[in-house]
Amino acid sequence: MLVSLKWLDTMVKVPDTLQDFCDRLDLTGTGVEGVEKLGANLEGVRIGLVKTCDPHPDSDHMHVTTVDFGDGEEPTQIVCGAPNVRAGLKVAVATIGTVLPGDFKIKKSKLRGVESCGMICSERELNLGSSHDGIMELPEDAPLGESFAAWRGLTDTVLDLEITPNRPDCLSMKGFAREVGAMYHVPWHYDPPCDVPGPTNAEDVRDLVSVEIDDPELCPRYTARIIRDVKIGPSPQWLVERITALGARPINNVVDISNYILFELGQPLHTFDLRAFPKGTDGKHHVGVRAARDGEKFTTLDGEERTLTSDMALITDGENPVALAGVMGGLDSEVTDTTTDVLLESATFSTAHTSRTSRNLSLVSEASIRYERGVDASTCDEYSAIAAALIAEVAGGTVCLEVVDEYPIRTERAKLTLRPDRLRAHIGADITDEEQFRILTDLGCDVEGKPGDTQVEVIAPTFRPDLTREIDLYEEVLRIYGMDRIPSTLPGGAHAGGRTIDQQRIELMAQTLRACGMNETMTYSLVPAGDMDAARMPAEGRGEAVELINPMSGEQSVLRRSIIPGLLRSVAYNQSRGVFDVQLFERGVVFGAAEGRKSPKERTMLAGVLAGSFTLPGWNQKAQAIDFFDAKGIVDNLMRELCVQKLQFKALDADEAPWLTPGRAASVIAGGRVLGWVGEIHPLVCQAFDVEGSVAAFEFDVHQLLGVTGDMRPYVDVPVYPGIEVDLAIVVAEDVTAERIEQCITSAGKKGPFESVRLFDVYRDDERVGVGKKSMAFRITYRASDRTLTSEEVDKAHERIVAKVMKATGGEVRS
Amino acid sequence: MALKEELEALRDETLAAIAQAATSDALEEVRIGVLGKKGTLTAVLRGMRDVPAEERPVVGKLSNEVRDVIEGALEEKKAELKGAELAAQLEASAVDITLPGRAMPIGSEHLINRIIRECTDIFAGIGYEVEGGREIETDWYNFTALNAPKDHPSRSMQDTFYIVDRSGEVSNVRGESDVLLRTQTSGTQVHVMEEKKPPIYMISPGKVYRHDVADPSHLPQFHQIEGLVVDKGITFGDLKGTLDYFIKAFFGEERKTRFRAHFFPFTEPSAEADVSCGICGGEGCRFCKHTGWVEILGCGMVDPNVFENVGIDPEVYTGFAFGVGVERLACLKYDVPDLRMLLEGDMRFLRQF
Repeated sequence: MLVSLKWLDTMVKVPDTLQDFCDRLDLTGTGVEGVEKLGANLEGVRIGLVKTCDPHPDSDHMHVTTVDFGDGEEPTQIVCGAPNVRAGLKVAVATIGTVLPGDFKIKKSKLRGVESCGMICSERELNLGSSHDGIMELPEDAPLGESFAAWRGLTDTVLDLEITPNRPDCLSMKGFAREVGAMYHVPWHYDPPCDVPGPTNAEDVRDLVSVEIDDPELCPRYTARIIRDVKIGPSPQWLVERITALGARPINNVVDISNYILFELGQPLHTFDLRAFPKGTDGKHHVGVRAARDGEKFTTLDGEERTLTSDMALITDGENPVALAGVMGGLDSEVTDTTTDVLLESATFSTAHTSRTSRNLSLVSEASIRYERGVDASTCDEYSAIAAALIAEVAGGTVCLEVVDEYPIRTERAKLTLRPDRLRAHIGADITDEEQFRILTDLGCDVEGKPGDTQVEVIAPTFRPDLTREIDLYEEVLRIYGMDRIPSTLPGGAHAGGRTIDQQRIELMAQTLRACGMNETMTYSLVPAGDMDAARMPAEGRGEAVELINPMSGEQSVLRRSIIPGLLRSVAYNQSRGVFDVQLFERGVVFGAAEGRKSPKERTMLAGVLAGSFTLPGWNQKAQAIDFFDAKGIVDNLMRELCVQKLQFKALDADEAPWLTPGRAASVIAGGRVLGWVGEIHPLVCQAFDVEGSVAAFEFDVHQLLGVTGDMRPYVDVPVYPGIEVDLAIVVAEDVTAERIEQCITSAGKKGPFESVRLFDVYRDDERVGVGKKSMAFRITYRASDRTLTSEEVDKAHERIVAKVMKATGGEVRS
Repeated sequence: MALKEELEALRDETLAAIAQAATSDALEEVRIGVLGKKGTLTAVLRGMRDVPAEERPVVGKLSNEVRDVIEGALEEKKAELKGAELAAQLEASAVDITLPGRAMPIGSEHLINRIIRECTDIFAGIGYEVEGGREIETDWYNFTALNAPKDHPSRSMQDTFYIVDRSGEVSNVRGESDVLLRTQTSGTQVHVMEEKKPPIYMISPGKVYRHDVADPSHLPQFHQIEGLVVDKGITFGDLKGTLDYFIKAFFGEERKTRFRAHFFPFTEPSAEADVSCGICGGEGCRFCKHTGWVEILGCGMVDPNVFENVGIDPEVYTGFAFGVGVERLACLKYDVPDLRMLLEGDMRFLRQF
């Protein structure tokens, strides 16, 4: 809300230092979002006296004047074209450097050869009115040399305030003055802008108008008054200044007054041309309040035709709509230049209905902002009387006697209990009973009780619908007392905390992947509906897609079922920007829906992708392209850090993992659980995601990983006696896996002094090794824990292993 | 005495040859030439048997002396040459130490996870547990139990993502669904209070969603850290002290905090906390819009209605709650110009952290 400090100052003393005032507002819950200084652009306009005035030698209408500012300087020469310029006149002069409204900068210039150092201004040039007949003639007592804006009172400071939704009372100058009074504990007052009642006539409005409210829930109170014989015209300057300072555009005197009362008192009003309400058979104008019909059409005064729903409320002439209740009037019932009789509405409407109507029609007005937060019904009549009197005074005319007042749901003041001791205990500060009562009283509450009472009764004002519970009073006391005055403490209770074991292990997973050179990233959870098809990932095990009811776009219409598609998009993003070495991983949630399930399943996954190479080709190393084994090596490291026992890689075929390159895909298993997979992404998937080259990837279910994560690896004695290494190269058929041979060696070695086996070479050559065959070289370490082995012992053990392996695999020793 | 002279000549020749040897190999040649099986001195010594017996002691002594001298000179020269050769070898192996090192590149932590980890460490240090939470919530946990008004704009489809309810139940909220992507981590408060008895000291970091198109300052998904304390005798002063501790631990001891009264449905009294601007130190600059302060988080005392919704007696227990925007902390600490960078996976961005 905008607040004019000049206006505010008529009700409560505004603090001298603006910055301190703004800070205090911020701290007490009224956010200051902006400060605008009005009249600042008129700073260079000063009051001058025309000393001399001679006809321009080269013009038939211009004059060359000299203007004195009473500062002892030489009078300034200014050329003026106005017919009423003359010596001895006090005038408003825009001096050199002033920027007038319309971005018009005053510069030293020559007019038909004569130098002119400024401009004598008309009303229109200063944006003060439309008169451009001549320059403004200032009274003789206008202070020479002073700022024109300051003298005319055109300077004002307007604050843009953020009023929280619980404070509808602060959405008016009067309410805000009360708040400022409470903030500083200073008196404040409100005087109506005119005598109430003003000029009246003899008619009783109750004989002229009847009001019918269909559903009191929509409209708890509706008052109507009639003002006869008004003359529609422009508003006086003071009125224009006040409503424009608060952001309204002047329209005509009657409409401007309804805005004025809204700003000053927070009561939205609507002024109708009485002609919009035809007389009924009883000779009365009928005003109705009813719910709209679904699909009913209505044209609001902004010229838009709106389609309504039964959730919206209408003001009618008994049948047809004339206004959208609480939000905006109708095009056909507004006050125009030809209006003579005005029907004045001052009412309250349902907060919830107004809020929904405003949102559903995307129509926000000064009225709807106030109604959706809550307008005090108890003052509808009082404020309507002020408005009617002001209309009669400003626009001429007379007010009919009395008021039509339908008030089906009366607003009562809330009675609350306050326990001053408990307030102190809750806040943690020694705020005295007296101070608590004073703050609440300043805010408009009545406190029934005395200091020292265990509890007192606090009666909340009707303009504070937010005060319904004892805790609401604590908040009021705290914010006015000052949060800055509450001593900071730490809770004293005994408690222990920290991450759970699983949370620590998830951190360890990320840490290990980073140590392996993987970079952690995040991708969108909201993805295109076609992602799984593009990634050739079957729904099996991942659930159905979780669909959004209100997606922002097709690109983000479902929740992800795998992290891989998002990571592939990131690979493509990098490649399209010339970054080809990409190592990314993400830990995050994936979602899967199932028929009959209300909330979809959420699983935390750990997934990674590798493309390009790990290192740039350097002066001392070659960049090696990433493949399956880089990803597998990272998986090995991860499992080592997680102390996973009996890790197994099982080949996945094309049917089992269509998203992976056949022959380069493995399921990762431990302890009978499938933890996830590792493999190279299928070339068709890469193509679908605009990824160049091959991508190695892995994806794990974190819950499964945690299920096989061990506490520790067992300690094994560090060998004391030397080991003996013997190499074994065997030629086997292509389908014999390394794992198979290693298992053979290990099992054959069990009976002897065998320690470990490691594959160190794989070699293929059609001539030397044979077609469809490969040579695999293993280094076998033999060691005894209690002695140094003799070569006889080693030979014997080795021979046994060789024989077993050959038999089991059909291979032969390569010589 | 011919032999004696011969020995002396041999000694002098050999010493000269040793002195002249420029390499270990040349020196070895000299040694073999003199002391080897067919060496000159060896030959002389072999000729001893022809020396008359009375001269033998003298000549024998002399020849031993000559051999010792030569061997000494050889050792000395050998050491000298070895030293020189090592020096030459070291000189040859010097490198340009400004050439890049050879290291397996280490990976980087995502900025958001880093901030969450730092905050978690701070709160774990003062005895807070860390709670997880679901990203899909029901209307009850995300709004109603948190005292959000029935018609609050944040519940609208313009602000909240709703998902299709497959339970087959007839939905009653907005005629569509009461299952949604959580818009705040505050629902965790409700779950934790339902499942655990006070005292509760917890934080819960997590991902939340809002119906916003991604642009430099908005993302449809971002992160919050929820905090909740429920215990006997918890005061607003405790809330101030706790957040003051957190803000100093996160931003630095020199930073100040202030609390501004505010309004949230699920806390009362409510406040927003600011930290003194890190750029100008509180003097006021463009970054802090000349206020000297930067908004950090929302907080407040747990509203009694929320306690009642989870069956905790607000007359016995009090508590406070707070919610911090992680992306906001990240931007304040690192001045990231465009939030979308956090979700693009650009290696050049990720590797900075």
